[in-house]
Amino acid sequence: MSDDIEETGCDRFADELAELALGVLTGRDRAGALSHVESCPRCAEELEQLSRVADTVVQAAPEVEPPMGFEVRLFERMGVADVRARRRLRPSRWVPAVAAAAAAAAALAVGLSLSLSSSPAPTVAAQGHQNGVVSANLVESGETVGHVVAFGGARPWMSMMLADSTARGLVNCVVVTDDGVTHHVGTFVAQQGYGAWIAPLHVNPEDLRTAEVVSPSGTVIATATLG
Amino acid sequence: MRQSRVAEGELSDEGLLAGMAVGEQAAAVSFTRRYQRRVFGLAYSMTGDAGVAEDVAQEAMIRVWRHAPVFDPRRGSVASWVLTITRNLAIDALRLRRAVPTDPDDFAASAMRSNEHNPEDSVHRGDVRHTVRTALEVLPEEQRRAVVLAAVYGRTALEISEAEGIPLGTAKTRIRTALIRLRAAVEHAEGVNHER
Repeated sequence: MSDDIEETGCDRFADELAELALGVLTGRDRAGALSHVESCPRCAEELEQLSRVADTVVQAAPEVEPPMGFEVRLFERMGVADVRARRRLRPSRWVPAVAAAAAAAAALAVGLSLSLSSSPAPTVAAQGHQNGVVSANLVESGETVGHVVAFGGARPWMSMMLADSTARGLVNCVVVTDDGVTHHVGTFVAQQGYGAWIAPLHVNPEDLRTAEVVSPSGTVIATATLG
Repeated sequence: MRQSRVAEGELSDEGLLAGMAVGEQAAAVSFTRRYQRRVFGLAYSMTGDAGVAEDVAQEAMIRVWRHAPVFDPRRGSVASWVLTITRNLAIDALRLRRAVPTDPDDFAASAMRSNEHNPEDSVHRGDVRHTVRTALEVLPEEQRRAVVLAAVYGRTALEISEAEGIPLGTAKTRIRTALIRLRAAVEHAEGVNHER
């Protein structure tokens, strides 16, 4: 008998438990559900499990590289000292790369060795495909809208510049290797068709077939043929 | 004072928070570099505005830094705590600016197509992101919209019913069914991981 009463009570709060777990139950409904949970161990357990799952949904959001200077501005607010001195010169992630790409382009032009990390520096060649360096234009609808350069060495990395593209908002960068496998490199923000980034690359640049800028819906916006 | 130190990249999220709590700047730097892309990514995915997203992400990281001493691991993971702070700030920013949030379909599409993988992030191996993204992908579209609207954008069942043009009871059912399906997916993934 008492089981029947409790079952009926629990059933009445089934929807509310989900909304309570998601933090979107308000007012009298919230008070009623909380009151029931306090007296019902089974629903308390259910709420705990649902809450744990509800918290995971926001974690599905994509990683996106913050705008240039984000870290410096944040550390200044935190009062973290000597940020600039402590920053690794070689970016470990994608960073908006106006300066880095310019440095890379300059190095490409004069065939300099570019030292961007404490690890052995990648050798940068003057040509587009030499000494572990590959480069190509990004093409969208037959028009050149940017450039990709991938550097080899102990810790490969690549830079991408995008301008006058139709890319807006979130875009993904993927590379396709000679074996046909697609590798996701990162997710970035293209503002008014412009973006510039630099990032570590987890494949050998000489194995690259193409680099692509892809919209969140999967549409290929621009492609660079590297191999 | 202990001089030996585990490399920052190998410290757990909880370890870095503990370091921040006692004013260790290196911990703050490392934590920021570990989380800034996730925090900005969530803020941008919700607002669709890089400027607003930076404001939100900056404030979220500041709050994490200030409140690191009161983080309670019994109430959830560090990632969950940090991203919930971010989500709440993004919701506030959208309301304050009367801005239009991004469409839940766009959020879900961005999430489902993301595939962050960085071998350097050993502490992130086996995280829940892949499981949730996969689970969201297989949900019926109307359930996915409902659970994203509630879990990410903080919409109540009534607000969802009005926005989607459906009865309140239908909105409630969609939210509940989606959440239960997500739970099944997460529990299945955890079971598989435990067997390994």
